[in-house]
Amino acid sequence: MIQPQQPYTGQIFQPTQTFSPTAPQPFYGNSFEDEPPLLEELGINFDHIWQKTLTVLHPLKVADGSIMNETDLAGPMVFCLAFGATLLLAGKIQFGYVYGISAIGCLGMFCLLNLMSMTGVSFGCVASVLGYCLLPMILLSSFAVIFSLQGMIGIILTAGIIGWCSFSASKIFISALAMEGQQLLVAYPCALLYGVFALISVF
Amino acid sequence: MPALASKRRIPVSHLGMADPHQLFDDTSSAQSQGYGAQRGPSGLGYPTASASPQAAFLADPVSNMAMAYGSSLAAQGKELVDKNIDRFIPVTKLKYYFAVDTLYVGKKLGLLFFPYLHQDWEVQYQQDTPVAPRFDVNAPDLYIPAMAFITYVLVAGLALGTQDRFSPDLLGLQASSALAWLTLEVLAILLSLYLITVNTDLTTIDLVAFLGYKYVGMIGGILMGLLFGKIGYYLVLGWCCMSIFVFMIRTLRLKILAEAAAEGVPVRGARNQLRMYLTMAVAAAQPLLMYWLTFHLVR
Repeated sequence: MIQPQQPYTGQIFQPTQTFSPTAPQPFYGNSFEDEPPLLEELGINFDHIWQKTLTVLHPLKVADGSIMNETDLAGPMVFCLAFGATLLLAGKIQFGYVYGISAIGCLGMFCLLNLMSMTGVSFGCVASVLGYCLLPMILLSSFAVIFSLQGMIGIILTAGIIGWCSFSASKIFISALAMEGQQLLVAYPCALLYGVFALISVF
Repeated sequence: MPALASKRRIPVSHLGMADPHQLFDDTSSAQSQGYGAQRGPSGLGYPTASASPQAAFLADPVSNMAMAYGSSLAAQGKELVDKNIDRFIPVTKLKYYFAVDTLYVGKKLGLLFFPYLHQDWEVQYQQDTPVAPRFDVNAPDLYIPAMAFITYVLVAGLALGTQDRFSPDLLGLQASSALAWLTLEVLAILLSLYLITVNTDLTTIDLVAFLGYKYVGMIGGILMGLLFGKIGYYLVLGWCCMSIFVFMIRTLRLKILAEAAAEGVPVRGARNQLRMYLTMAVAAAQPLLMYWLTFHLVR
């Protein structure tokens, strides 16, 4: 079976392969002009990232169920690193804890959501949503740099931000997985997870 | 993530012509299939006295085959995991226990703290299968026990933290000791059920669910202990112990005791007495364990 050289022309979501029975010579010339832009090839779509960020930041805005169709881990990765960086500014070198807790939390949420929903979820989707909703927690840890959170104001602020994060996460999960009447039930484990992150920020 | 093929670039020096003195094919070139890391043993052992297109012809089927084999192996592996995970973890059965909604959880928590006014404890059936917890507040679920267990571990960590006795490995210790006690309870009850030869439809997962309900009371006790000290702890714990005792008796009575006894008619007979003792023992073990697992957290 002869497999001739194929230039790669792909779109961001459906990589296609075009079989062109050409001789190897023009291959070098074709490929350079036809190659997709780097960001598209890596799967990073800034517009989607921005949309998802806005959905997290407006807790009362209704989430669109289809935004979680492509799992995008670039945004969450940036947010996790930013969280670790703000903790670093406060003098706590705890990247390891952040990583460990997010891994265990994502695994737990993955199992729970698979058991609770009619359709299943993929691990990437869970990690992506939980990572995006970490954004308000970055606000909390940047406050912790400036003034200590161990007073009454700190407690109220922490509770508010945990509520904000879990509310957005549960809102996105509910709309993406079409679960009715279970928003609080999904929000509670998210609140536990973000509570642990808040514990790291505060203490 | 959509599958991305990596791009192959031909080095400028190698535009189509293989070095006839090479003993093996140069696999760094674009001769192999443009699909990524799957590079079969196409290069090794092929004397390239021929020109490049024929070398490509020889190289590509093998790498192609290797890639196809690799991807089918991955698909087979995934299938194997999916098939066998059902043998160890009964996923569909577990899904029944998680089919809950907010209203059910609210009512069930109310029942766990105040079971005295609830009249009908029978689980409704729908053509031989029990109805999902969403539709009947008497059905056992696993959401509440699982969340209660995790909350208990975190609240224990919090309690230890306020007493400056916290360290992350203590959390693990709490979690594993609670889990060990739960396993011990389940095994003891299963053994007793086997010895008394009771015919019940009480499955192991049902039992785990019922035994997990006591963590809710424990959390309440610890939180009150944190806020109001020992007095608050003992008051709330005492109340929760009574409630869980009544709850367990009323629930297990329907599952373990004989039909007539469940309706309140006293039935004589050694077998029924044994069953009654078993129910009482299980219900009495709950408050004991609740105290045992929490008293060291409240000072």
